[in-house]
Amino acid sequence: MTLPDAKSLVDYAKSLDCIHCGLCLQSCPTFRLTGAESSSPRGRIHLMRAIGEERVEPNAAYGEELEFCLLCRHCESVCPAGVRFGPMMESARASYESVRPSGFLRRQLRSFGFRRLLPGRIALRLFGSFLRAVQVLGLDRIAFLVLGERGRDLVHLPRIAPLSARRLLPETIEAKVENGQEAAVGFLEGCVMPELFPHVNRAAANSLAALGARVHTPRGIVCCGSLHAHNGDLEGARMLARKLIEGFEPIKGGDGEAAPIVIHSAGCGAHMRELFELFEADDPWHARATAFAARVTDFTQYVAPLLAARTDVELDEGALEGPVTWDDPCHLCHAQGVREEPRDILARLVPNRRVELEGSENCCGSAGIYSLLRPADSRAVFEPKRAALERSGARTLVTANPGCQLQWQTGLRRAGSSVRVLHLAELVERALSRARSGRAGQQGHSAQQDA
Amino acid sequence: MDTKLVAALRAVVGERGLIDDPTRLLPYESDGLAMLAVRPPLVLLPRTTAEVARCMQLLAEYGVSIVARGAGTGLAGGATPVADGVVLSTARMRDVLEVNVEDRFARVQAGVVNVDLSGLCQAHGLAYAPDPSSQMACTIGGNVANNSGGPHCFKYGATTRHILGLVIVTHDGEILDLSEPVVDPDGYDLVGLFVGSEGTFGVATEVTVRLVPAAPVVEVQLAIFADLDAACDSVSEIIKQRLEPSALEILDKLTIEAVEDSVFAAGYPREAEAVLLIEVEGVETEVNGIAREIRTILEARGALEIRTARDATQRKKLWAGRKGAFGAMGRIAPDLYVADAVVPRTKLRDLVRRTIEICRERDLRLANVFHAGDGNLHPNICYDRRDPDEVRRVLAAGHAILEACVEAGGALTGEHGVGLEKLAEMELLFTADDLAAMCRVREAWDPERRLNPGKLLPMHACLEIRTAALPPAPTSLDT
Repeated sequence: MTLPDAKSLVDYAKSLDCIHCGLCLQSCPTFRLTGAESSSPRGRIHLMRAIGEERVEPNAAYGEELEFCLLCRHCESVCPAGVRFGPMMESARASYESVRPSGFLRRQLRSFGFRRLLPGRIALRLFGSFLRAVQVLGLDRIAFLVLGERGRDLVHLPRIAPLSARRLLPETIEAKVENGQEAAVGFLEGCVMPELFPHVNRAAANSLAALGARVHTPRGIVCCGSLHAHNGDLEGARMLARKLIEGFEPIKGGDGEAAPIVIHSAGCGAHMRELFELFEADDPWHARATAFAARVTDFTQYVAPLLAARTDVELDEGALEGPVTWDDPCHLCHAQGVREEPRDILARLVPNRRVELEGSENCCGSAGIYSLLRPADSRAVFEPKRAALERSGARTLVTANPGCQLQWQTGLRRAGSSVRVLHLAELVERALSRARSGRAGQQGHSAQQDA
Repeated sequence: MDTKLVAALRAVVGERGLIDDPTRLLPYESDGLAMLAVRPPLVLLPRTTAEVARCMQLLAEYGVSIVARGAGTGLAGGATPVADGVVLSTARMRDVLEVNVEDRFARVQAGVVNVDLSGLCQAHGLAYAPDPSSQMACTIGGNVANNSGGPHCFKYGATTRHILGLVIVTHDGEILDLSEPVVDPDGYDLVGLFVGSEGTFGVATEVTVRLVPAAPVVEVQLAIFADLDAACDSVSEIIKQRLEPSALEILDKLTIEAVEDSVFAAGYPREAEAVLLIEVEGVETEVNGIAREIRTILEARGALEIRTARDATQRKKLWAGRKGAFGAMGRIAPDLYVADAVVPRTKLRDLVRRTIEICRERDLRLANVFHAGDGNLHPNICYDRRDPDEVRRVLAAGHAILEACVEAGGALTGEHGVGLEKLAEMELLFTADDLAAMCRVREAWDPERRLNPGKLLPMHACLEIRTAALPPAPTSLDT
């Protein structure tokens, strides 16, 4: 096999930004787990640089260190030199994928997962129904016989709803308030969301509509490609990015301006905000991706100011049990720098009942499909999070990313904990519908307005 | 490395406690001083004192050298590996063994991170005072080895004043328990001797630290200056006036720019030539009094503006900028050489000027950020290790700066240690007799010279003693 130019295997220029100060070490979940320098951000950059300088081969040990990383990007939040570790890791993984020895089965599985399953709505729907059948027949309890360690968590997975409850969102949801502003937003249903969390999708879209926006969910847009980018399939990610751009470009507000794209999955949002990273600067798609990325905003960022203007959105006492805590999704706090808005929203919805979660910015171990690919590591990363939740005394944990939500639900069920896990959108929807019915009850009008 | 030895070590520390894969070993080749790199043949990551002791026994049996490593954030090459020795990392020794709030001490494993220790005491109104800029990563064990400082050591003193006890594993694997939490030990103060020995006396595995009460009122002042001289003079004046703030830090323009571009942006004004960070703490009246007198001095010295912060968030932000300064220089060049020298505090202005001249003469980019209150200069020289000529000029500048500081009555290191970086300069400060005496102390702890060989004391000074007093050394030590 002829190796490509060593410097092209990694983002060599970016690797020089690291000054080796080590301030990132303790932010890294895999360094905290192992204490090994090679499993730290500084160590991994050191290896990338060494690959570029041909001091080390892109061998299996190097590949293992790349794959061990959760791509949580916590290190970026603490790096004084501003090293952008995420894009570096993505390109290193993609290059490694091109030189690694890969067996037939692995190649087939990757191709099926990334090129058929994730981008295809029909395939995903079938997969959802298959999972549901497995659950209904109780096969999840013996899945470990076939899948080994990986199958053990299947039994803790949330129940898949029947297909009737997994309806896709309508292409357009009209705004529920007439405020004359004709706000519009683009909305992404996502790949696994309609299968695993259809109620969260509805909650987010309904909340946006209740806050005065017409919600457009373009048909045919399935996966954003973040899982591809994180796992070394940059070409697949590019393909999906182009679809994404084409699907969202026509969505405009009443003023004719491009409408914001509101994302309630932090992992997708982080990827979409950096979509231009996928294209070379001279590629015409680069400019389109840049314009697209500028429109992307997180659900919490869009909703927080609108909720702040209202005084009637407190949740009823009975809606949630006990103290409520917020767990920052890594791709929200580290990759998008969003920290205040979700807390502001919670402070409004459940004043006086919010408790802080120690280490809330640490990764929960979900990390996209990491929990599937490396179940043991994923659980080890999760364990200190669970312990922190226990110490916090919270009875409800709120987050804003499907992966984190799934990881928490599965992990807590495994540990026999009864703490509820919710997406922030679920709380927002509940508070807004309560406010609406409260207003309708008090003032005895506007039934048609709220309908 | 002998395969039997490796197997025996693996049996002690387990699969995850030993790294011998060449790729995984590569990131250990340097510490925070990236220009010096040696790939070690083996890294050990023990979890307990007993494991360390067992490893050290085995290594003694096979005559293998040991370089202890904490987080590898040191800036003087103190943890640079040796080609034929193992690196013993404390990164998996992270247990807090005891926090005694009433008697105000804590006992921790050596790999506990400095900032975690501070966080632990906070809830009890206590603090661990030494706060190196790398505190979010560096370990207590590493702090002990280097007698680390930090901004607050101006008032509280460096690490050595905060260590009450140690558990040390000696060169031959004996466990030496010196962990009585008393201020004045009976007999020789071996703990005091050990702190700052840079891994040449043994491996500290447990550390008992003193905790100090957190001050009820803390005020941070940010004084903005149109020139660096005026900032330096203000510090000299504050010292002369016998005022005692808890920290006095200066950042120059290039540093300010780098920090303000980083995630640690603290709101330092970019147009300033220098800022002076001052922290005053104590009870209300005391803080008010000292802060007022300091303000008078700052105004007299021409400060353009003085901002004050008393709430915790604002103070934290101002400090975060200072502590991220070193890493932030990564924005300017791929590598940074952080010199570390001490000068009499009345001569700050002259020596800071001298460092600027030295770097200008050699066409090097210099940023100055330093513990002004302690007279501890940190000239930060930006460079690229891939340019051998630039590396040579950086080293020459470092040498010239240290020479100037020693000449002015200062010292070689404020807090980073001697490591490999300042070996040659030891002879600027010490005579051959001095060095020989130090070598004798070292040999009392480590007769075979297997502990962090080649660091801290110039080799030849010690070799002279060796040849006079000891049987011939094993060949591996001379290479």
